[in-house]
Amino acid sequence: MTLLKEKNIDLPQSIISAEAVKLAVDKIDSLDFPTRRTEDWRYAKLGKILNKKFDRPTSNRINVNEFLITELDVYTVVFVNGVFNEEESLLPDETGVVCKLLSKEAGAVSEYDRLAKDSNEIFSAINTAYASEGIYLRIEKNYKVSKPIYILNVCTGTQLISNSRCLIVAESSSEVEIVQGFYAKSSKENFNNSLTEVFVKANANVVIHKVQNLGSEDRQVCTEEVHQEKDSTFKINTFQLGGEFLRNGLNIRVDGTNCYTEMNGFFNGKNSQYLDNHTRVDHLKSNCTSSELYKGILRDSSTGVFNGKVIVHQDAQVIEAYQQNNNVILSDNAVMNTKPELEIYADDVKCSHGTTTGQFDEKAIFYLQARGVSKDSAKEMLVEAFAEEVFEKVENEDIVSFIKSLI
Amino acid sequence: MGEQIIKIEGLKAEIDGKEILKGINLTVNTGEIHAIMGPNGSGKSTLSSVLAGREEYEVTGGSVDYLGKDLLELDPEERSWEGLFLAFQYPVEIPGVSNINFLKTALAEKAKYQGREAMPAKEFLALVKEKSALVELSDKLKNRSVNEGFSGGEKKRNEIFQMAMLEPRLSILDETDSGLDIDALRIVANGVNTLKTENNATIVITHYQRLLDYIVPDFVHVLYDGRIIRTGDKNLALELEERGYDWLIKEFA
Repeated sequence: MTLLKEKNIDLPQSIISAEAVKLAVDKIDSLDFPTRRTEDWRYAKLGKILNKKFDRPTSNRINVNEFLITELDVYTVVFVNGVFNEEESLLPDETGVVCKLLSKEAGAVSEYDRLAKDSNEIFSAINTAYASEGIYLRIEKNYKVSKPIYILNVCTGTQLISNSRCLIVAESSSEVEIVQGFYAKSSKENFNNSLTEVFVKANANVVIHKVQNLGSEDRQVCTEEVHQEKDSTFKINTFQLGGEFLRNGLNIRVDGTNCYTEMNGFFNGKNSQYLDNHTRVDHLKSNCTSSELYKGILRDSSTGVFNGKVIVHQDAQVIEAYQQNNNVILSDNAVMNTKPELEIYADDVKCSHGTTTGQFDEKAIFYLQARGVSKDSAKEMLVEAFAEEVFEKVENEDIVSFIKSLI
Repeated sequence: MGEQIIKIEGLKAEIDGKEILKGINLTVNTGEIHAIMGPNGSGKSTLSSVLAGREEYEVTGGSVDYLGKDLLELDPEERSWEGLFLAFQYPVEIPGVSNINFLKTALAEKAKYQGREAMPAKEFLALVKEKSALVELSDKLKNRSVNEGFSGGEKKRNEIFQMAMLEPRLSILDETDSGLDIDALRIVANGVNTLKTENNATIVITHYQRLLDYIVPDFVHVLYDGRIIRTGDKNLALELEERGYDWLIKEFA
């Protein structure tokens, strides 16, 4: 039985990399869990994770058909409670793609943990120390994967702890589109701790669509550590839908000139959901552009958090960085905490950031009602219209309609 | 005389504690066109808003019988489903909501309310084509977001297009002529006239007699300080155009 508050983690240590595990275990010892006084976690009611007792996951053979994207031809990699499910998977079999279990690589992958090891987030250390399994994707140089790779992580059972781990290495001038889905099936009060490392090498192009649609009582801490080399493009679209507590940490180091980085997000808060998006972009080199758009809807007594940080380092000149967060609150009991941050140490930059939080235009709702659209439908129409700007960023129409069907 | 569509009796309404309507009496029967005229601030737009069900206005007295139902008890969408239509003085721009999709939803919800099957897509599109031709609304405008980036005239034509789609029993046109040039006015008026049947009725709220050259009213009412102070035929509008409202206001005082 795991009780995180006491750092009492009843899971077998990860067999992916002994070296990484040793580092991570030391880190867990030296770090404390964040509290309400930890700036990056100040709104998070971590008691929902720290004070609960979680059991070890058992492998569960479940059918994942309901989470497949009909109409869309994809490779699938299926994990259930962090355990690989081979029967349900359809692994890439193209010459330019390596898709293996991290445990089978046994530390042979030099990139493993390289981006995460310097993090001071205790949840990342826990993942490295205890992730029983994970997926390793390498796209070879100059190779474009013929279809998207869909990594499904399904939580099932009651009060279980699971770690999801993913390492993506896009070699120079390669291209890949990845859908990363987190779902629940008969899932109750589970905790999933996900960590994804992404290497976007020179001139490579990586697109990730992240869909979080866990059960109404599930909790998740989800971290991405991304490293971009020169001339590369990295784009991530995040959709936070279901889950009682979802906390995202997206960290991108743009470590090459002439890069393009895009982060889009839509979160849809209902009931007492806690939806948190922390993003951080470090511009380390010159002539790069980053663009960020997060939009949120908060209903009932849900809470949203957006904290977007863009840091333009001293040597990074001619940077364009745009950041926008717009939210709509549909209930008197819903709360939004938003904080766009820019730190600029270079002098030749073009940056903007802005945030709005408001309500729908009553006049628009009345107009629709007066034409025979019920008030609830009118609001849903406006929600859809509001979210559309984010969906427009997703070029793949099948993925758009799949995500819309979940809302 | 036609069948009674709406009977307003002693209607009083206020906003933010200020009384705007001070006892309106008005009955409209099928086949009739009523014009409501009056100086600024007399309560014309308040009357249309109250009839359409805007929540900001509090009804403090009187009653409104609409086709045998207590209109004031209905939600705005129910009023629409029952066949009441308000053409807005300032049609709202709603970015991201498609003109056509929202009308499809509106018609489907109305059908559901009436216990009918929703119209098949093909039939719906044919209807859109037919009705948009009435007010010369281009395909481009039909498919855009509701009123977004429309010119003043396009917005008003879109209102009449929607009116045509919804086939109301009672239409209230709130200053539909304001800001329109003569050509647009003619198109809008032509649309309204084409939609007129022996079975429906129209209330035209306007400032200017000009519109009434095109939409000829059976009755003209003058609204002043929250009351109807004079009712006449179309000649009253002509007289007002010539003499203004002062003489009537003086008589009323």
